[in-house]
Amino acid sequence: MTNVMSLSTHTTASGFLLPSIHSAPPFFTQQPNPGTQAIAIEQWTRLILTYARHRRLFVLRVEDAETTGNDWDEILRNERINRKLLPPYLSHILSAMVAKDLAVYEPPRQTRSVLLYWRSPDEWAETLHSWATATGQLNTILTFYDITDPPIESELTGIPIPLLRKAISILGKTGRAQMIGVADGEGVRLFAGGR
Amino acid sequence: MGGNQSLPKITPQDRAILDLKLQRDKLRQYQKKIQVVLDREHAIAKAHLAAGQKDRAIIALRRRKYQQSLLLKTDGQLEHLEQLVSTIEFSLVEVSVLHGLKQGNEVLREIHKEMNLEAVEKLLEETSEAREYQKEIGEMLSNNLTLDEEDAVQAELRELQAQQESQIPQAIDMPDAPTTELIAKEPAAEAESAERTKVPVAA
Repeated sequence: MTNVMSLSTHTTASGFLLPSIHSAPPFFTQQPNPGTQAIAIEQWTRLILTYARHRRLFVLRVEDAETTGNDWDEILRNERINRKLLPPYLSHILSAMVAKDLAVYEPPRQTRSVLLYWRSPDEWAETLHSWATATGQLNTILTFYDITDPPIESELTGIPIPLLRKAISILGKTGRAQMIGVADGEGVRLFAGGR
Repeated sequence: MGGNQSLPKITPQDRAILDLKLQRDKLRQYQKKIQVVLDREHAIAKAHLAAGQKDRAIIALRRRKYQQSLLLKTDGQLEHLEQLVSTIEFSLVEVSVLHGLKQGNEVLREIHKEMNLEAVEKLLEETSEAREYQKEIGEMLSNNLTLDEEDAVQAELRELQAQQESQIPQAIDMPDAPTTELIAKEPAAEAESAERTKVPVAA
């Protein structure tokens, strides 16, 4: 790892600053030394989450390491040093992230696709609540589509429904959200509520 | 959950509003889908034309036209739905405003009940009586000073005056006016002081 210092950072086409470790060939292969491996996984976790936040990506699949031309090309491959992350290693990283509650398998009962928590469900709950407050939509019945696809783009635009559900159920525990179900679908009503 | 009790009941109105909004969402999604179809038919027509198949291009364009008319129709329906939703929500606001007014009115009436005229009159009377009483006490106290005490007050006043007078003469202790001639020295002194002020400016 001594030569890492001489490696340089790189700014991708989407404007993301890759850390210098991304230019180190060993970073892309699993390390036999468990200590080194743990550090590498930590670095990968941070890289994946910061990149996901930068591009507002919510889902990472093992498949993304198997194909090219997807949202994750910029970090799962490095053409400049001719390296790419192999699917088994990605799968390993994903399981480590799930173990640390930084991601969750979605849909559950499979291990090929995760929902990334670059914001925890608790933080999403607060985001949802402050958005509804700021846009004056408290005490109004909202459909999920109102939240994920608002006429004015918000922080919640494109949020996956499973994550939205988690955020709503967290708000529900403090009496700040109420689910309403009808034959055709579901809606939610948010309240100011005390903490 | 204790929190659940504070949540309002879900009324049939709420369900109706949600139903309407879900319908509106469906229309919006449908519009998105049609837009995709429109773009695709356009591409197909272009491809056919490039391949020299004019008939097929025309068919694709006809299909496109039909989809376009659907899009227009859904626009109208969407407008209706959105209007209906807005009207309902506005009516709900009106209802809650009315409710608020009613409650305000009730509270005002309660307050007025407690504040009837007789009570106010009685209260004011009592207050003025108390003020009279206070005044009497004050007068009695101020007249109650003995002659000795009055003398002591006067003595204190004299002492204060004496202190003030003893401070004033020190302030008026002025130096004597000069008696010698000064004119000859003055220009030199002025030049010197002018130079002194110049130096810091230059630095």
